[in-house]
Amino acid sequence: MTESSKTGRRRAVKSLAVLGGALGCGALAVPTARFVIEPARGSAGAGRWIKTLRLDALREGEPKRIALIADRRDAWTLERDVELGAAWLVRRGSGVVAWSTTCPHLGCAVDRSATGAGFNCPCHDSSFDANGKRLNGPSPRDLDELDTRVEGGVVLVDFRRFRQGVPEKEPVG
Amino acid sequence: MSLGPRVADWLDERTGWRAIARSWVDHPAVGGGPWALAIGTAVASVLGVLALTGVVLMTAYAPSPQSAWASVHYVEFVQDRGWIIRGLHYWAAQALIMLAAIHVLHGAFVASYGHKREIQWWLTLLVLALSLGAGITGGLLPWDQRGWWARVVEGNIVGLAPVVGGFLQEMMSGGPELGALGLSRIYTLHVALLPILFAVAVVGRRLLAGRGATGGAAASSRQAAQALLVFAAVVAVLFALTGKAHGARLEGPADPMSDYPARPEWFLLFLYELRKFFHGAGEFWGTTMVPGAAAAYLVLLPWIDRPSRPRALALTPVVAIFGGAVGLTVVTLRHDAHDKQYQKMRAKADAQDALAIRVAGQGIPPAGGLAMLREAPELRGRAVFDAHCASCHVLADLGDPEKATATKLDGWSTAEWIQKMIHDPDAPEFFGRGPFKGQMPSVDVRPKDQPPDEPWSPMTKSDAEKHAVAAFLASEGSEPGDPPPQGDASQRALGQKIVSERCTTCHLYKGEGDDEGSDKAPELSKYASLAWTRSQIANPASPTTYRSKALDAALKKHMPRFDGDLSAADIDLVARWTRATARGIPVR
Repeated sequence: MTESSKTGRRRAVKSLAVLGGALGCGALAVPTARFVIEPARGSAGAGRWIKTLRLDALREGEPKRIALIADRRDAWTLERDVELGAAWLVRRGSGVVAWSTTCPHLGCAVDRSATGAGFNCPCHDSSFDANGKRLNGPSPRDLDELDTRVEGGVVLVDFRRFRQGVPEKEPVG
Repeated sequence: MSLGPRVADWLDERTGWRAIARSWVDHPAVGGGPWALAIGTAVASVLGVLALTGVVLMTAYAPSPQSAWASVHYVEFVQDRGWIIRGLHYWAAQALIMLAAIHVLHGAFVASYGHKREIQWWLTLLVLALSLGAGITGGLLPWDQRGWWARVVEGNIVGLAPVVGGFLQEMMSGGPELGALGLSRIYTLHVALLPILFAVAVVGRRLLAGRGATGGAAASSRQAAQALLVFAAVVAVLFALTGKAHGARLEGPADPMSDYPARPEWFLLFLYELRKFFHGAGEFWGTTMVPGAAAAYLVLLPWIDRPSRPRALALTPVVAIFGGAVGLTVVTLRHDAHDKQYQKMRAKADAQDALAIRVAGQGIPPAGGLAMLREAPELRGRAVFDAHCASCHVLADLGDPEKATATKLDGWSTAEWIQKMIHDPDAPEFFGRGPFKGQMPSVDVRPKDQPPDEPWSPMTKSDAEKHAVAAFLASEGSEPGDPPPQGDASQRALGQKIVSERCTTCHLYKGEGDDEGSDKAPELSKYASLAWTRSQIANPASPTTYRSKALDAALKKHMPRFDGDLSAADIDLVARWTRATARGIPVR
């Protein structure tokens, strides 16, 4: 056997080893990465209509905080009839306007402001007027309005979540 | 030769452990002298305490949204001296962040990143970064209000990063919302990945300690003695902190529906304050770019601080970074201390925490701390009252006495309360501010609008009769387990006679009465019992309580029915809470 063929064979074995190592690592990396990444990917914001309260329980123009109750699936658990979120509901004649209580800024729960006219976030002092319009503070957009409809005298709210901290109202989860 | 040294020799021949041990103890103290050594040893000591207590805590902690809070509550309040281990772990974690920051600051001042020692400097920085990471991940594990809300806000800050923000946030939260997978992930980071990196950083620093050294080695025996003293001092301080706080704070179970005044952990308050200077699109700069630039400066310090340049130039930004962080933290703490709205919400949250901890003492259902809150009248009843009743009624600390338009419920249905109420029903604390004002006559005061020539006789002829009526009505609402009713049986019998004969002109008693058919004065049998209270809340216009006219439009601002808004379970819980709180008896 010549020196050159020896070197050639050594090189081939080396390349083969590197290739095998890379394949082995890749074979492990793909399913592990998938395992970690896939379950956390949310599907884009499908809304769900949730029954709340009777229309006549709302007073004209006076915001009421209502829990939105439905089933929640979280990984391996399914909880029946739990609070998924909450909304501020305001009656406007025969219709209802609803805003998510989740602050569009960083997701704290928006409360009525101390003066009572609009809404205020306790975390970073974003404030909103009685129509959910942004007044001041760091919130990048108005309160997130949710669709509503009244069926048989009962108010239904289309519950969705939106990405926080961005100027556009972008549905998530 | 005795056995000990022989075994040691036997092992040494096979492992060379003596040389290894000597190299660890004898490594030369360079670039900073005894102080650097003391800080480094303190960091190592705290890490040791964290590793030990961390592994021990893992034997009790159960990471899932259902069991996390319950298991930490168990460790803190139930397990024998569990609070000592949790307290040591918590305080060691806080101390680690402090010490790691001091280590970096000290290292910058003594230029411990000298020639060929850059990697050691980066490992020092890495320890600080890991400490912050461990603090953030560890803060979530109890799944209590503070940790959960801090993580929600921090997660959303991560989400602000361009392009990868949303992806990173989902990876950390285990989905669009922080849930079961998110907790498992954070737990994995906290107990596996971060400790491995800590080990790499600490071992790496030790292995590299001699490189680039310019000074001589210190006497090894003195170094070892000093290290042991530092270790003892660190342990003493951690025990003192643990004892003073009796473990570590645990707030109520994480409740995504609560209006909790979220704040980050103390070591991130500077970021929270920094963020206030930036708005809209600039927010990303405040939360990511400014701290990122500060971190980059520290990483690149070995090249910025050159012997050819004045040191003050390179160190001024370092002082500005650390001084700025401390300053911003102080500003935020002062701001919160003077913010009345925040203090009010904080006090509310504190009260909720104390209640949750107390209720949990009776045992936590398998569904977890939050389910416990949802089912406990003491908490859920109070929360429902606050949300639905306190806009008109006042009870305990809930409701605004200035704005109340309905009966003040403190003392409601006790003999003392009824006695005052039937004497002066239109007093502001009774019907005076509501739609029933002027609807009920006093039992012993002549109505003002009654012409003087018309005959009038009081319904109760004497105080004794009035007291009898009050004692009887108070006993009507008694439930098994309540304190025994006031007065004796004969007094209550007299009260019952007066009620059934005279009050039934307008009221019902056991379905009989209301001769004029006004349909407005409530049924008095079982008045203020649990069933009566539930029925009144569900629908005041029920024949067993205030009857059909109670929802009449003519009665402006009358009490609404809640059976559409509230579940039967919530009505039961708020009825239990209201009744017991009004009577000043334990809520069951």
